Amino acid sequence: MLRFEGKDYPVEDGESVLDCLLRHGEQVSSLCRSGACQSCLLKASAGALPAVAQLGLKDAWKQQGFFLACVCRPREDLLLERCTAAASHSSQVQRVMALAPNVVSVRLARPAGFDFRAGQFVQLSRPSDGLMRAYSIASLPSEDELELHVALLSNGKMSGWLREAVGQNVSLRGPFGECFYQEGEPDRPLVLAGTGTGLAPLVGVLRTAAQHGHRGEISLFHGSPQLSGIYLRSELEALTESLPSLRLFGSLLSGSESELGAQGRWQFELAPLEQVVFSRHPKLDAHRLFVCGQPTLVQLLRKRAYLAGASLSRIHCDAFAAPHSA
Amino acid sequence: MSTSIYERLGGEAAVDAAVDIFYRKVLADERISSFFDDVDMDRQRGKQKAFLTFAFGGPNAYAGKDMRAAHARMHLTEQHFDAVMENLGATLTELGVPADLIGEAAAIALSVKGDIVSR
Repeated sequence: MLRFEGKDYPVEDGESVLDCLLRHGEQVSSLCRSGACQSCLLKASAGALPAVAQLGLKDAWKQQGFFLACVCRPREDLLLERCTAAASHSSQVQRVMALAPNVVSVRLARPAGFDFRAGQFVQLSRPSDGLMRAYSIASLPSEDELELHVALLSNGKMSGWLREAVGQNVSLRGPFGECFYQEGEPDRPLVLAGTGTGLAPLVGVLRTAAQHGHRGEISLFHGSPQLSGIYLRSELEALTESLPSLRLFGSLLSGSESELGAQGRWQFELAPLEQVVFSRHPKLDAHRLFVCGQPTLVQLLRKRAYLAGASLSRIHCDAFAAPHSA
Repeated sequence: MSTSIYERLGGEAAVDAAVDIFYRKVLADERISSFFDDVDMDRQRGKQKAFLTFAFGGPNAYAGKDMRAAHARMHLTEQHFDAVMENLGATLTELGVPADLIGEAAAIALSVKGDIVSR
């Protein structure tokens, strides 16, 4: 039984808290429905939560009873509250710039008191109707603006709006996630791999690594159907100035001979991302990994990295789940 | 009265040393990998840790009835069980555990075979 805002709802066998509340007509926001995006955060003020419902939340939140309703299949009665802890910040779209044929950089004014690590993500919502999406932050906390990378999807409600949204207000919740540079291990080799706008958190990690003078070898792998989707190429090349050990690889699914091989400091290959990564890194037991982008690929890379010797605690994932269509 | 292999191997530290070796082996073993291929790898690793703690005769929360219920819907065969036993043995061999202790761990794991294998 769930007690939510004074009403009792029986949970069916195997049903998630989110599904139960939605089935009873309650309004609860959600996006990925797989425990990744944290849109459906709720608080349990009484009742024991299954551990999986709090996976990836910060300890302080776990202790307060925050959990992810979409993956919480309760084994006992829960007294629930809406989440008010993840404070909302208001911001404004400052600039929108093209990065690739279907990717734009959206720069937001950094709200006062908004603390984050580059590579973490925020939930951005449109004040007029509450439409919400999650985006990673590629910029450093020392900058005045937050840089998000937005994939322009056909019929994308949020991306279609954001590309024309200069001057519009947005609200931000967060930051969330563990894809950020770890200080205190300047010699550890790092592997960063992502597809599409999964590059955004990886750029955040790289910029932070550069700021900290990381000395260990860093390999960045970016996957895209074609060369035009490998964006921020020259900016990443410029990062090799402060990160001499940085190596840049592009994985393409189609491309002409002239597009492949070495291009400046980049190396392009016509091969799936996992193949490009693991042909260079058959052993990963000393490495820290950051893996972002399309969910099934993220899961595959995580498993293969583990089998290649990486410790699970040193594999940081961010799966960019598409909004769940109701 | 002899102390458990868990204590003789070095307690939780021994399980920690074994769990990643064991989990990687079963994930890579095509006969059984599908049972271990969980999106939530942390939770799955936790289960392997509980299993190893149990096989080492250490403190654990494995109860016969739960064990049956948890495995019933997987329809496991004797071949699946044997594959897990092989990987357990290979893990301990890789860690340099003496043969008599490996035998003891195998005997503990075998004691629940009836709860794991269907029919």
